[in-house]
Amino acid sequence: MLACVPALLASGCRKPVEPQSAIAIEYGISPQPIRVGPVAVTVKLRDAAGQLMPGARVNLEADMSHPGMAPVFGEVREVAPGQYRGSLEFAMPGDWVVLIHVTLPDGRRLERQVSVAGVTAN
Amino acid sequence: MRVPGLRRLFRWRHLRTVLQIPLLIVSVAMILDGLLGPSLAPKNLATTLSWVHFRGALVLVLLCAGNFFCLACPFMLVRNVARRFFRPRLNWPQKLRNKWLSVGLFALILFCYEEFSLWSSPWWTAWLIVGYFLTVLVVDGVFKHASFCKFVCPIGQFNFVASTISPLEVKVRDLDVCDSCGTKDCIRGRRAPGSELVVIQRGCELALFQPLKVGNMDCTFCLDCVHACPHDNIGILSRMPASELMVDPRRSGIGRFSQRTDVAALAIVFSFGALLNAFGMVSPVYALESWLAGILHVNSKAPVLGVLFALFLVMEPAVLMGLAAWLTQILGGSQRALVPLAVRYTYGLVPLGFGMWLAHYSFHFLTGLYTVLPVTQSAASRMGWNLFGSPRWTWLGIPMRYVQPLEIGFLVLGLAGSLLVIHQLAESDCAERPLRAFAPWAAVSVVLWMAAIWMMFQPMDMRGTFLAG
Repeated sequence: MLACVPALLASGCRKPVEPQSAIAIEYGISPQPIRVGPVAVTVKLRDAAGQLMPGARVNLEADMSHPGMAPVFGEVREVAPGQYRGSLEFAMPGDWVVLIHVTLPDGRRLERQVSVAGVTAN
Repeated sequence: MRVPGLRRLFRWRHLRTVLQIPLLIVSVAMILDGLLGPSLAPKNLATTLSWVHFRGALVLVLLCAGNFFCLACPFMLVRNVARRFFRPRLNWPQKLRNKWLSVGLFALILFCYEEFSLWSSPWWTAWLIVGYFLTVLVVDGVFKHASFCKFVCPIGQFNFVASTISPLEVKVRDLDVCDSCGTKDCIRGRRAPGSELVVIQRGCELALFQPLKVGNMDCTFCLDCVHACPHDNIGILSRMPASELMVDPRRSGIGRFSQRTDVAALAIVFSFGALLNAFGMVSPVYALESWLAGILHVNSKAPVLGVLFALFLVMEPAVLMGLAAWLTQILGGSQRALVPLAVRYTYGLVPLGFGMWLAHYSFHFLTGLYTVLPVTQSAASRMGWNLFGSPRWTWLGIPMRYVQPLEIGFLVLGLAGSLLVIHQLAESDCAERPLRAFAPWAAVSVVLWMAAIWMMFQPMDMRGTFLAG
């Protein structure tokens, strides 16, 4: 335990930072302001050259900031090359985090976390 | 205990270590996942196990059994190992031999929980655990006996107060045996044959002399006394829950509850803090915080939280309990002065406070019970171990519609316990007019209970800040 302390302090002193990816995951959530209930989520995937990337599989997940609460999941379909649309239903007010899970045609997996703070009741 | 086999189990001197080792391993896993794992709280061992499973299991074990979490404390395992190399030399300072420091730390933990939104931060949660280990090593590395447990540990103080409701207690089986005991090993420790200076089994490090020990306050269930007693005269025995709150004898290592303002303050933070902690998770609190921020002209959380804490933990108890104590003097004819009267009856609120903690923590525990499985699978997969396939993040727990009646039941039990204790206190305090002494404190209990019930039916709204919108 004592021997692990220096290693822990060295690795844990800074908060972990999300690694950068060459692929940009753009998103939009509507309607605004975000309230309890269904919302539409649009996703665009762009490569390093800024070109839209078709053919990916995209899934949505939303978790509350507090552990132990029910996550919600949403399917997404491609409505135009590189543009995807799906929906989520926020079940209660509070702070949520939306996870955009992307599986590219070559099998690579990406994820983007989007903080959705302060979802209010209707 | 009458259960066959358990007596032998509790006398096994390695029982504590066997319980502590798995919890130490889990603690290390929580620290590692908290510092290096996903930043999303529901996906991280540190936050999920701390704020869902540990808190919930803790209160349920305290309700059904006793302070077994202190028995299995991993911090003490590390401390005991460290003491093989570093011997403490100092006694805990006389001026700090009270609960005031731990009361402050308990309130500080509740404050930090809200200020830093600990429930949503694996990183901060991990550092809290690391900080706890380091503090134990420093305090018990410098000061003798169980100074950390008795005078510092906020979790321990919570457990001490809550275990006054527990149905089990470490106590003497036959006081006549103690009367004839000449060595008093339960507190002095068992000495090596022929050498009074060599202790081969330590006695109680929290200064609880078993023949005069009353109740569970300050008892960590460490079982040192059980192992030290040469007559096998100490065990974990059953008793009526909350019975120790109804009496006021001189308790070994503590004194009389009615003369311990610091212990009463601990009971106040415990009882009123239960409501405050739950209030922090329902929608109306954000409207209140926004309003306070407007009045104070601030845009950060700390000053608003400071005002809320002062209101809930200082002003509200002062007003309610001051009024009840004054009415008890007037109506009940109590001869006690106002403050000693309030101190005396404070302990009557502990069952209701415990009911609130139970309702709150058991809700998260039961509705998120199964989340330990996908979180553990996920943590294991990051270390290269594939446990039963991909994590099933849809595994949650018992549906809310089954848990909510249980919450109400805990609150009702808490109120019933408080009314019973207060009634007993009133009967011993104002024998001629007990109902008149009982009434003001019963009214305080009912008011707090109604506030708790109201909170249970408010929509949950867990936000890191009221400033987000």
